[in-house]
Amino acid sequence: MARYLTIRLLQMFVLFLVFLTILFFLINAQPGDISAQFVGNPDIPPEAKQILRERLGLDRPLFAQYLFYIKNVLTLNLGVSFDHYPRTVADILLTALPRTLYLFLSATILSYIVGFQTGKMVAWRRGSLAEKGTMVTSIILYTVFYPWFAILMLWFFGSQLNWFPLGKFLTPAQWFDAPYTANMVFNTMLLTMFIALAGVGLVIWGTNRFIAEPVQRTRARRMLFALIAVSMLAFWLISPMSRFAADIAYHTVLPVTTLTLVFYAAITLLTRSSMLETLREDYIFTARAKGVPEKVIRDRHAARNAMLPVTTSFVLAIAFVIGGGIVTESIFSWPGLGLTLLNAVRVEDLPVAMGALAFIGLLALFAHLVADILYAFLDPRIRVQG
Amino acid sequence: MTTDLSTVAGEPEKGEQARGAGPILEVEHLIMNYRTKDGYVSAVQDVSFTIGRGESLGLVGESGCGKTSIAMSLMRLLPENAEIQAGKIVLDGDNLLELSDEQMRRRRWTDVAMVFQGAMNSWNPVYRIGDQIREAIDLHWEPKPTVAVANARIAELFELVGLDPAMMDRYPHEFSGGMKQRAVIAMALSCDPKLIIADEPTTALDVIVQEQVLEELRSIQHDFGMSIIYISHDIAVIAEITDHLGVMYAGKLVEHGLTKDVFARPRHPYAWLLLSSTPSVTGPRLKLSPLEGEPPDLVSPPTGCRFHPRCPFATAQCAAEEPPMEEIEPGHLVACWNYEQVPEMKAASA
Amino acid sequence: MLDPDVLLADEARWRIRLRLWSRSFRKNWEIFSRNKLGVTGVVLVAFFGFLAILHPILLATVWDPDIYDPVRGNDPVIIEKIIVPDGEVTDPVTQISFTEAMIYGTLFPKEGEVVAVGQAPAPPNGAHLLGTDPFARDILSQLMKSAQAAFTLGVIAAISAVAIATTVGSVAAFYGGWVDSWLMRQADLILLLPLLPLLIVIGSLYTVGLWQLGLLIGILSGLGATAIILKSQALAVKVKPFNDAARVAGGSNWHIITRHIMPNVLPLSFLYMMFEVVGAIFLEATLSFFGLLSIPMSWGIMINTAHTQGYTLFGLAAWWLLFPAGLSVTLFGAGFFLIGRAMDEVVNPRLRTR
Repeated sequence: MARYLTIRLLQMFVLFLVFLTILFFLINAQPGDISAQFVGNPDIPPEAKQILRERLGLDRPLFAQYLFYIKNVLTLNLGVSFDHYPRTVADILLTALPRTLYLFLSATILSYIVGFQTGKMVAWRRGSLAEKGTMVTSIILYTVFYPWFAILMLWFFGSQLNWFPLGKFLTPAQWFDAPYTANMVFNTMLLTMFIALAGVGLVIWGTNRFIAEPVQRTRARRMLFALIAVSMLAFWLISPMSRFAADIAYHTVLPVTTLTLVFYAAITLLTRSSMLETLREDYIFTARAKGVPEKVIRDRHAARNAMLPVTTSFVLAIAFVIGGGIVTESIFSWPGLGLTLLNAVRVEDLPVAMGALAFIGLLALFAHLVADILYAFLDPRIRVQG
Repeated sequence: MTTDLSTVAGEPEKGEQARGAGPILEVEHLIMNYRTKDGYVSAVQDVSFTIGRGESLGLVGESGCGKTSIAMSLMRLLPENAEIQAGKIVLDGDNLLELSDEQMRRRRWTDVAMVFQGAMNSWNPVYRIGDQIREAIDLHWEPKPTVAVANARIAELFELVGLDPAMMDRYPHEFSGGMKQRAVIAMALSCDPKLIIADEPTTALDVIVQEQVLEELRSIQHDFGMSIIYISHDIAVIAEITDHLGVMYAGKLVEHGLTKDVFARPRHPYAWLLLSSTPSVTGPRLKLSPLEGEPPDLVSPPTGCRFHPRCPFATAQCAAEEPPMEEIEPGHLVACWNYEQVPEMKAASA
Repeated sequence: MLDPDVLLADEARWRIRLRLWSRSFRKNWEIFSRNKLGVTGVVLVAFFGFLAILHPILLATVWDPDIYDPVRGNDPVIIEKIIVPDGEVTDPVTQISFTEAMIYGTLFPKEGEVVAVGQAPAPPNGAHLLGTDPFARDILSQLMKSAQAAFTLGVIAAISAVAIATTVGSVAAFYGGWVDSWLMRQADLILLLPLLPLLIVIGSLYTVGLWQLGLLIGILSGLGATAIILKSQALAVKVKPFNDAARVAGGSNWHIITRHIMPNVLPLSFLYMMFEVVGAIFLEATLSFFGLLSIPMSWGIMINTAHTQGYTLFGLAAWWLLFPAGLSVTLFGAGFFLIGRAMDEVVNPRLRTR
């Protein structure tokens, strides 16, 4: 396992370097000197142009420029924004990153949990009305043109029903006497989310390792999960930040739901076919012959194995969620990496655009790594090399 | 419910009865079909046989002749498109076909366990072998044993089938094919079943391991006095380890009797052809007589005797009337109008 | 050379091939047509094909290009309004304020005077069956023009992707070793690229039109995901005995790859073409929605126009702005998706419902 992880980490690092190389040549293949593009732009002070020239090392040979670029990215020395001069790119991106992470994480986790359960149930009750209904809904959600769907969601729930705010990150009126910045509150939210996730992971690992008896294990798990949920709730009830956190959370409901719905449909379709495949396996027959109750066969034998291909598919899904995330951020004015990228592209703020792209690439690689680790945990054929 | 069973119904300890004290299993006039797009496939047609306590029965026939369908019927684990149309399966006094799904579920593994055809894939890849055996024990032992007790039992079973007890903490992918098959046998024994069905228990294994596994099965059956049904397309394998032999053709049981009788004097033309086409390494050379033609389409099986289109002894009667099972010598039954025409085996080496 | 027998034999072989081909086509169509969703997909695609073909015909015959051209056309609905002082407009349909009247070209507005105001977007009417967009252009004409763009892009992307992937997959499967490792690692890498953000940046740095986008998507997908899938198929074909037979008969590597492996990978390639079209069209529409492509007209641009002109939240009140375009992308994608799924059942018999 340790060896597997080391290899994976190394691979990720190499992949990131390759990605940066592609970015570098993308800029360089452009006709003309980049800084020349901004000569006519009076908003950019001459120092910025000089900084850009220096940062990109435009006077040096190409290979030296390349090494310089890689070094700069790896040390987060991404330069200064043209549009928000003199804010540094790193500062802009580090503010946006947690917001994208939040959207990405909540949509992914929610859609995986709900989609997996739905897919499992409909595969189990193949041919039922519930299955057909779910399939039709899922195919519609899966094939719908996502930006259009997001606009419709915003129109219907935000404007028509007036249930949710029309995008944006918070309600400014509520924040003016706030003792915290939005980022502080938001990062605390994200942190508690991470702690809860780590807790859940720890509980699953610990119970698997130390409790052999399945019934006791399930009982212990439920109790510990409840404990995590209660302590999270308690923290947010007591915390003075909760009023502001609630405002942010309220603004996240619609974008997260919209992104989740589409992703959920994909997971449902995938789980269903994976589950149908698994149900044909010999070991399902073995379990039946052993007299294992049907529900246990579904959950412990079939669904547990159907999880493997669904986890693998996450690698393909990363690009899907990231793309969907950008669209979501743009339509719901959610100030994350995607919106930052789009705005930077619109005003030709090249340092920010390239930085955002590098960050998004890093996010994708990291998600890939997490999926790999998760897969190794789920599949003993990788966890325990025979 | 049958008279034979009443004599053994009150026996306190199972598995210790003398051989032949009374049938553990009676299958009566079992008829089973599969619904398909093209129509009903008559997979098992009016099959009856009994197995006594501690006895073993071999079922042979070409693939698709209904032997596995019979095994599935005994476990009541038929695919959704299968239906048992008529007949009785009486296991230790109860007709399995009359039990509720839940009652049947409880009986699996305690009454009838199975050694599967594809042992390679019969283990769930994500759980430890020991945990998978313990799942069966936890489900069926009364009262439910502690983890330590169950593990001790699994260790005992592992030793019995020749596996290192430490292996129970390993995952299936760490086992070789032969080891997996041994572990399957261990699992089949875990709840002291009255009957074990071994469906092609050795097909996926190489020859040497095959021998070992079969030997294991035979000695276990001998020691524990349980009943076994062996299902195989390989008549040579079955002949070595069974007391009784049933030959199936196209969903019908065509010949049934003591293995030595059937082997020495096959009376059904199909059994005769099957036996004379099996080369024996030790015995004198036989001229192989190949079976001509294809197995029939069971959506519309041949009229009369299902074997008549391929039978060298077929007469007009064979095409018109279905031959009944007839006892031609004590315990030796044949379904053929012309069994007297069937010549003696040239070399009776069994 | 001109031996009539040879010619005859050649022609016969050609005919045999055609007959075999048409027979297998008929058989596969029978399996395909059993899948109702697949047939729905064919109907959807045929409908858009009809729209695409009809467009130039209409423009050449009944549609006046000055009014109906999807990009340059202009036909605002003229409505007469009465000028009232600023802030006293009670009915925006019949009244217009001083300031607005000035915007519409009446330099010296007087109260009570009637001005003709060109209105856009206009709801569907006799001249414009699906109304006009915020720039007074005919929506139906735009929709049809966009269907052409969608087919062009889909075909370019699908053909280039599948041509590359079939070659890469067959070569990787045939040679194995380092060739295989290299091609597959490369595919893994491409799979990991965050495609949309990358295309957003490329779209902003370079001029990307339909052809460039189609080729770009085709190359990335052909070297990436599709290559991996087709390689596994090619591996399955590679172990078939006819390859050994061809080798024994003296066939070169290239001969075996092109004559024996590729033709057997082709059915699956066709299948992935369908999914390729869906992916390409969604990417194009999304990029157009962000306004990053140099394409005259597409469904994504139509949604972008409505969005940037402030009609995002009009919903059903201005349905002809958002719904026809949004539904078209969706149904076009769904059509190819459903065809793909049904073809999957033809290619993989395992999936057929018994």
